[in-house]
Amino acid sequence: MSVKYGILTLLYKQKNHGYELKLELDSLLGTKAKINPGQIYTTLDRLIRDQLVSSAGMDQQERKVYELELKGKEELEKWLLEPVPYNTSKEDFFFKWSCARKIQFHDEQQMLEQQKTLIIQEVMELTQLKTEFLFEGDETKYLLTTGMLFHLDADLNWINQVVNRNR
Amino acid sequence: MIEVSNLQKEFLNGQESTQVLKGVNLNIEEGEFIAIMGPSGSGKSTLLQLLGGLDVPTKGEIEIDHTPIHAMKEKERTVFRRKNMGFVFQNYQLLPNLTVEENIAFPLHADGKLTKENIEWIHELTRSVGLEGLNDKRVNLLSGGQQQRVAIARALANHPTVLLADEPTGNLDRARAEEILVLLSTFHRKNKQTIVMVTHDIFAAGFADRIILFKDGIIDQVISREDSDYAKYLANFMA
Repeated sequence: MSVKYGILTLLYKQKNHGYELKLELDSLLGTKAKINPGQIYTTLDRLIRDQLVSSAGMDQQERKVYELELKGKEELEKWLLEPVPYNTSKEDFFFKWSCARKIQFHDEQQMLEQQKTLIIQEVMELTQLKTEFLFEGDETKYLLTTGMLFHLDADLNWINQVVNRNR
Repeated sequence: MIEVSNLQKEFLNGQESTQVLKGVNLNIEEGEFIAIMGPSGSGKSTLLQLLGGLDVPTKGEIEIDHTPIHAMKEKERTVFRRKNMGFVFQNYQLLPNLTVEENIAFPLHADGKLTKENIEWIHELTRSVGLEGLNDKRVNLLSGGQQQRVAIARALANHPTVLLADEPTGNLDRARAEEILVLLSTFHRKNKQTIVMVTHDIFAAGFADRIILFKDGIIDQVISREDSDYAKYLANFMA
């Protein structure tokens, strides 16, 4: 996840001030993420330095307003068109499991079962959330949650495969 | 709405008898979406067949809206079933040479109820399951997901008291299954449709208000999200 591209996205259609950017970025990132406000301002400073964003004065409540520069617009569009490489070995549980195998961890089974329980809990909670998004008409959040569930499906199948092969 | 007490079912195979249901007690409220999960042979599909009046119990009682269906004669049961039950099966069970609209309207034809208002209702159902424009297409030319949509619309044609679905997504990939579950969920939410769905799939069961775990012919556990340890229990059950 990149705060840089999140900010460029939020400034694409309209100017905005830092606090509103933080709130919208939380919402853009979905259900569980929260951004540290400090991270927003340091990123904005960097974006100004790189001439992707500029300061557009103050609003009526004396808050500094930011706007997207042409260079920032081009940078965002270029990024949007870049396919995202898959690098599953970096995912936490795959790494943790690889470490467990490396040391022939005696509780691998329990580790897998606990992960499975966590996935099932996520499936139940996300399915409920997904239907809320669906009936609220929030198509983007509905589709994102569906995507997360498809990933969990794959993870659950993988854990079942490991458990079966360990038997 | 549905009250089941001490339900038992025994199947005879020559000299041997197998007790598939061993005393099931269950209450389902009006407007609830219930998922029944369990291993193959645990009796979950048999329970669904008894709830739908497709078969009779060896012992025990089933009341649907205070009507005791276990005590009905076959003919009476058939009439009750046509009027009050909608069925969706894993393999769709459509009439392959009939069109989408003819299949959806079939339960009304069978009851001689095809009035002008009913035809409008069939059109509305066809639209609500996303098959607008395909009314005159023969169902054997449709994809699996589309055929299951027809089956759902057909099951709802009679405004059933209960919709019973036996592995409705069992033949579909994850994306098509999602469309079917969204449809069921929509009818549940918007029309307060009572649904009882048998599934082996936790991703389908997640749509339900309550999950009933079935094992060896009895209810092992009733799961609701309010229980603190429900995920652990589900994970153990699915192991």
